[in-house]
Amino acid sequence: MSDATLDTAAEPGRRRSRMRHLWVLALIAAGLMIAGPLFLDRFTVNVLTRSMIFAILAVTVDLLWGFTGILTFGQAAFFGAGAYATAMVLTHLGSTPGLMVLGLVLSIVLPVLLAAAVGWLTFYPGSTDFYATVISLVVPIVVTQVIYSGGTWTGSSSGLVGYVGLDLSLGGFFRLAGLSLVAVVVVALIFVRSDAGRVLTAIRNNETRCAYLGISTQKVKIALTAVLAAVTGYAGFLYANASGVVAPENAGFVFGTQLVVWTALGGRGTVIGPALGAVAIDYLSAQLSGQMPFLWQLVIGTLFVAMIIFMPNGLAALATGWRRMRRGEDGFSPQLVALPPRAARVPADGDSPLLRIEKLEKSYGSQKVLEDITLQVRRGELVSLVGPNGAGKTTLMRCMTDGKAASGGTVRIHGTSISGMVPDQIVARGIGRKFQVASVFDSLTVAECLRMARVSHEAPSFLRSADSLSLPQAAIEILRLTGLDQHLGRAVSLLSHGQKQSLELAMVVSLEPELILLDEPTAGLTAAERATIGQVLMKLTSELGLAAILVEHDLDFVRDISSRIVVLHQGRLVLDGTVEEVVNDEIVKRIYSGGDHV
Amino acid sequence: MKRTLAIAALAGSLLAAPVFAKDPILIGVPVGLSGANSVVAPSVVQAAELAVDQINAKGGVLGRPLKLVVADDASGAVGAQKAFDSLVFQKNVNVLISMETSAARNAGLPIVAKGKIPYIYTSFYEGHACSPYLYVDAWVPEQQVPPVVDYLKDKGAKTYFLIGSDYAFGRGMLGFARKYIDKTGGKVVGEEYLPMDGTDWTPIISKLKASGADALITSTAGGAPNVTLTKQLRNSGVTIPYANLAVDEGTAKSMGKDAAGILISASYITGIDSKANKDFMAALKKKFGDKTRTPNDLSVPQYEGVYLYAKAVEKAGTTDTRPVLKALGEVSFTGPRGTISMNKQHHAPLTMYLGQVQDDGSVKVVKSFKNVDPGAQCPKL
Amino acid sequence: MMAPPHSKESRQMTLLLDIITTAAILFIIATGLLTIFGVLKIINFAHGAWLTVGAYCAVAVGDLGWNPWAALPVAFVTGAALGGLTERFIVRPLYARPLDAILATWGLGIIIGQLITLGFGRDVQFTKALLPGTADVFGTSYSVYRLFALAAAIAIGLGFSWLMEGTRLGLSARAVIMNEALARALGLDTRRIRWVTFMIGCGLAALAGTLLTPLTSVDPNMGVAWLVGSFMLVMVAGQSFAALALACLLLGGAQVIVSTYVSPILGGITVAVLAAVVLRISPKGFSRV
Repeated sequence: MSDATLDTAAEPGRRRSRMRHLWVLALIAAGLMIAGPLFLDRFTVNVLTRSMIFAILAVTVDLLWGFTGILTFGQAAFFGAGAYATAMVLTHLGSTPGLMVLGLVLSIVLPVLLAAAVGWLTFYPGSTDFYATVISLVVPIVVTQVIYSGGTWTGSSSGLVGYVGLDLSLGGFFRLAGLSLVAVVVVALIFVRSDAGRVLTAIRNNETRCAYLGISTQKVKIALTAVLAAVTGYAGFLYANASGVVAPENAGFVFGTQLVVWTALGGRGTVIGPALGAVAIDYLSAQLSGQMPFLWQLVIGTLFVAMIIFMPNGLAALATGWRRMRRGEDGFSPQLVALPPRAARVPADGDSPLLRIEKLEKSYGSQKVLEDITLQVRRGELVSLVGPNGAGKTTLMRCMTDGKAASGGTVRIHGTSISGMVPDQIVARGIGRKFQVASVFDSLTVAECLRMARVSHEAPSFLRSADSLSLPQAAIEILRLTGLDQHLGRAVSLLSHGQKQSLELAMVVSLEPELILLDEPTAGLTAAERATIGQVLMKLTSELGLAAILVEHDLDFVRDISSRIVVLHQGRLVLDGTVEEVVNDEIVKRIYSGGDHV
Repeated sequence: MKRTLAIAALAGSLLAAPVFAKDPILIGVPVGLSGANSVVAPSVVQAAELAVDQINAKGGVLGRPLKLVVADDASGAVGAQKAFDSLVFQKNVNVLISMETSAARNAGLPIVAKGKIPYIYTSFYEGHACSPYLYVDAWVPEQQVPPVVDYLKDKGAKTYFLIGSDYAFGRGMLGFARKYIDKTGGKVVGEEYLPMDGTDWTPIISKLKASGADALITSTAGGAPNVTLTKQLRNSGVTIPYANLAVDEGTAKSMGKDAAGILISASYITGIDSKANKDFMAALKKKFGDKTRTPNDLSVPQYEGVYLYAKAVEKAGTTDTRPVLKALGEVSFTGPRGTISMNKQHHAPLTMYLGQVQDDGSVKVVKSFKNVDPGAQCPKL
Repeated sequence: MMAPPHSKESRQMTLLLDIITTAAILFIIATGLLTIFGVLKIINFAHGAWLTVGAYCAVAVGDLGWNPWAALPVAFVTGAALGGLTERFIVRPLYARPLDAILATWGLGIIIGQLITLGFGRDVQFTKALLPGTADVFGTSYSVYRLFALAAAIAIGLGFSWLMEGTRLGLSARAVIMNEALARALGLDTRRIRWVTFMIGCGLAALAGTLLTPLTSVDPNMGVAWLVGSFMLVMVAGQSFAALALACLLLGGAQVIVSTYVSPILGGITVAVLAAVVLRISPKGFSRV
């Protein structure tokens, strides 16, 4: 016991020292940026100024692609929008300090508006990764075309030149770009290490699970796109001032692909890797491409392909992997804190059912999978849903958590129809769903997974990763019973199958739902694990008053724990009764003995 | 035996090339070795190399040899910034002489202004680029378009259809053409543009055919779009007189029969019948042998640009920027295109040639126009 | 000097022909990409490079003095052979990472472009015209080659239907499309099916490149301009050739109509923008056709 306390006491210290390291490195980097122009020649200063501005873009690409899994070629469009906003203000209006501020504001606001529109178009419930990539190709093409067609306003293909930018020396721009890059990298690192930052990784890992934890992944993605567009637009402002020229290629999709190449070569998902990659490759290309332009591109292309195939996480990932190995497997284990039990959402007004399904239908074309399902579930009930394979059990579960799934009929929670709602809205109404195959986040630790389940209740910190983890008592108990509380810092990918199932259950319970849907929670578990889960479920329903619907094949298990059993066969509800009634029913016996045509 | 030969060769080369005691004068050539201009860039570099060799063989300038420093601008703004930075601040060149895209030139100008060195731009362009450091020895629309329109008008054309790529040069050229056609009593019955990377001109060609225009004038981006448009025009059976403001002899050749009959207007055509041109072509052939790139309206101004700079330095007696800039507007040089002097607001009056592509891809000079004025390009200079 | 302005009927006929032949050309270009995406669920972003390879096959055939039509089989075989190597060494490790496959094939496209540049130079290449001139269609003179392209598109479409419906390979490929795990369980060599499919897709892309040569400039970057359009059409079409034909007809038709009546510049981005909107409204595109 004393070991554990020592451990948790040491952990925050180690993390604080890691934070200190970050600040020390940031200060050193900032110092180098300020001193740089003193010992670098003019050529290097100029080239690095632009490379560092591009590095800011690479960091934004990394946050989108490396962390959140959105492959985007579209950052170039936002960069171009910012740069052109600045250049157009300075060219057509003038360059008084007031107008310079206007340029800065527009260079941020325009890309944000554009990004919000693009985000809305791109991220909708059910949108695919491919679609996001498609849109990220279309946006720069359209923006470039607008620039070409802009005549004297945008300078068309020749771009805009000859305006008066910020009154800074070459060294001044170097320092401004360098300090901006350091700031962006530091903020990005703090963010990705914070609890909020882990949400991005969770979305990349398993977006469905995020939605079923009540996280609106679309909103997160749109917000991320918009915020990063602001950063990108600011980089455009810097570029327009530092280079004194803007051109259509700054907004083009080829530049967008280049950003992705730099990010990949630097090491996606590391923030520092893409920043260094962008600076190094852009600087080298300035040095080398003059002598052998085609060969240079050939080398970059070959390296890129090799990197994608053999080292998808880039060079920087090797370093982090090594560091992790040296430190041992487990990450940080936060201290568990039990939350006080919370009041029910709707006061228990006697007998109104929690869930009421009426005449539910689901068909694929002419094939009816569910037909005329009517069912009610009240608090405290543990209802088991049984039936042979293909009876429609999982489909029924889906219709209860996705307002767009059903073809007809209604599903009401607390009397409100969920028709048209997306999973995260339904989860917010007090439903939790556990999937058949454990759906957790393989790149996170146990504690981080659990924290994801609490995101919809308490906004995570953007600055730090909390030292403690507050969970409902019931969730903590599941962790205790299954021993997971001893492995809070363990990476989920290292857990056993049964541990993952238990973890997912704990996550769903952490949502503090009023109704839990469980799809074969005991499949593949040992007898002991099965008993534990049964115990937990009984406790949740009988003591805490939750309702649960359980899809289960193991009739013995069902008999032991259910308060009611519902039998589904060929898409119809054939029986709804107590354990005794169902077990002794002739129809059920026939279905399960194989002569299944009722 | 071998050794004596080597020594003899060494002695020979020492005799042939003057020995310079002083540092070379560095000429920066930022050019599109990759990207859209990479088709024409090798000929531009060859022309510059020939000029430098010839000048050095005659003792250089002010007793100093000339030396080229070539850098790739990737035919665009971002590449140009790197190339200009490298040449101006790393290689510390004395002058920039180069043919580039407008985007690349614009991207380079702020760097030239910071580095305070002369910049001779040797590419034809849409006009009105002005900077105290910038001189241009190639044509602008005011010089190139009138010969074409006048010729078509003489042949009886009253209505014109204009087709271009949607970029500054395309729009600039056709905008000027429209004005000139209106002024001279013709009528423009259609003006259509396709994006630079557009590949399908079909709807535009259908409009052209429906318009019943007497003549067609096109100004696309060089290379690919030009070839694509011409192929599709020919495929659709368009046979009206066709003036192409953006085609060069080399591209015309690669199009084979499709290019036959096209009118081109240029300040340089290989068929110019002058001693200067013949000497130039012979020297090029001698230096580069079968690697010779056909000289063209972009490479010859580059050749003459180097000479004009050499003359200006001789006249100024120094490579210092201020006196050289002053001298650049005063000196003249007689080269393949005739006598060139950049004395009109940093631009040059030029003799323009109207040529027609023959079935074998060669260009026949139909008419020439002496010393066409560039007009008021930079009234403030 | 030229025929008087065309009559209204003739103009409508031209518009109709423009729409149909534009759709045909888009279809020819996109089939190779669709073949690969349909079966392998992988976007071959080197598609543009394969078009270019096909066009350079036409150049090489011309240089050798062969009959220009010989370029078609040469391109198909060359494309398929290179495709086989690509599948084996670049695509195969990436089936589980479709977004990475996009990137790796994009990188491959850069490599192929540079190799062609190093081999043939940057210049625009000369190819012999396959079918010059115009023909009379219901009183409207129209490009013979574009009419031929229409025939070629139909031939490719029918040929492919036969391949998918009437051959063992097609049956296996369809099994893989529907349920790869099941197909494997039934004893099909899915690895080989993927390999052959990728080869056919690349062969078709190269073939399309050869067919493009009379209509477009032949240079090392020629394919890129066609890439995004084909990509969009394939995203809308999903896995079906019928859906692709419909997508080409509708989006290509929209492109021609916008170009004719609004502006060719807007026409140039019509396919991309419309495809994005179609996918937003109906994420499955036309694939249910």
